[in-house]
Amino acid sequence: MNISIIKLLQSGFGTSSVIAQCSPILASQLHTSAPLCRVVSGKYRITKKRDKPLTYEMANPPHYIAHRKSWNSWNTSNLKDGLRRSETAVEDEFIRRFMTGTWHGLVCSEVIIKRQFNHIRVAAIIRRAVSPTKMYFLLGYTEELLSNWLQCPVTLELQTVDSFKDVVFKYI
Amino acid sequence: MSLFMRNYKPNSLATVYNVKLWRLNSTTADSVMKKDDNEEEEFRVLDILKKKDRMQRRVVRRADIQPDRADRMALDQKWGNVWPGPKTFHPSSVPLPLRQGYVSKGQAPPGKKANAELMKIPNFLHLTPPVIKSQCEALKQFCTEWPSLLNSEEAIEKHYPVEIITSDYCHASPSIRNPLARVVTLRFKLSTLKLDKHSRDKFIRLVGERYDKETDLVTITADRCPVRVQNLDYVNYLLTACYHEAWNVEEWEKEKTEEDMEYYEWNNNASKKSLVNWFMRTKNEFKELSEDEYRSFDVSVIPNAEGYKDAVSSLMNDGESDETVRKYGDSVRKLLGLPEKKVV
Repeated sequence: MNISIIKLLQSGFGTSSVIAQCSPILASQLHTSAPLCRVVSGKYRITKKRDKPLTYEMANPPHYIAHRKSWNSWNTSNLKDGLRRSETAVEDEFIRRFMTGTWHGLVCSEVIIKRQFNHIRVAAIIRRAVSPTKMYFLLGYTEELLSNWLQCPVTLELQTVDSFKDVVFKYI
Repeated sequence: MSLFMRNYKPNSLATVYNVKLWRLNSTTADSVMKKDDNEEEEFRVLDILKKKDRMQRRVVRRADIQPDRADRMALDQKWGNVWPGPKTFHPSSVPLPLRQGYVSKGQAPPGKKANAELMKIPNFLHLTPPVIKSQCEALKQFCTEWPSLLNSEEAIEKHYPVEIITSDYCHASPSIRNPLARVVTLRFKLSTLKLDKHSRDKFIRLVGERYDKETDLVTITADRCPVRVQNLDYVNYLLTACYHEAWNVEEWEKEKTEEDMEYYEWNNNASKKSLVNWFMRTKNEFKELSEDEYRSFDVSVIPNAEGYKDAVSSLMNDGESDETVRKYGDSVRKLLGLPEKKVV
């Protein structure tokens, strides 16, 4: 009795596998799980001790751009029908990397790049961790090199703070 | 006392003596002595993590940081000298208690110092009303007076009938070129051109949809050449060519028949012919007229013929409607001397 049931089951499984092999439509995988619609980029997770410092920029996720915070790049290329879109984006990324590398560990905020005609204004908040002499050197160095590479006048407009704690907006 | 103690510390006997001696005088001294005793008895603690040293390291604060410029500003200073040109916001030179940022209810938004949001937004601190005023004053010497005769739109339109429309583009990138700047539009009123009936008709046919019937404006746009000057020349060429072509009368244009007419011309049509024939018959004149004679026949001699002509033309040109049909009926009654239609 039992054996016959097992045999029946086996035959049943056998037929189903045969059907699956013969018809690819039946065998095609149907996903029934809900899609994972979770946006993670530009958001920070809350720590257990609630001691992770966030600046205002970090505290507002990307969908708050133009609502609670504004853009870091100001130019006409990112408008509709703007010219030199890719070039501007690449140049901005290059300026950001160069700034964070040159002012190593000193940049406390995002690097803000504003363009007016061919003039590039780079603004950032810098920690007063090095002597003013060094800071002046770095300022001239950055301006000179960037304007040489980008072939436009570059102006650094910095604001200094005592420590990173000054730009902290909240702890999560 | 301290001298005394230092001298006699190693000697326990002496210490005991000391205690006895000072207990009478002060309690504070007594406690000091006790503490000394304890220290001597305690083992030294092995501080592996060097916690003590680490705690003692002090944050070095810079003493050479200047106070804010905004705090030392005179009340009657010229703001234009403080902020002469476009610049990113700097909190220490703007004497305004600014705040920017979104916070939940009940909290104050972040202040002006170390506020990146204030640095992001473009400011117009260099364009305060007094500064604009002074700049306008400075520019005045380079301006010329507006011609006094061109005091109204009509005068400008009369003396400068042709309008050239171009666009200049201004953008934040190293290049000043924009391909859209090459487009040139020429616009003028057709009534300002010297055209007769035939040439006007031909001109409208030549320019096609560039002529707007409602506003009587002809708009010619050129963007096929790479440079604006070339497009401008091309637009002017197009206008000249169209104008002279409109005045040309080709041989085949005379072959235009009534079927080719784009509108109903009463003078060329059978309606006029029958009216003239009817008029002759009422006068008892029986003459054979040629086509040209029919065409050039002056209908003003026939009473009420002008109204009839207008009514027929509007009926044919504007289409059949209650208004045109009624007008036609009235004019026919007038022409034939019939009584007015009675309103029932």
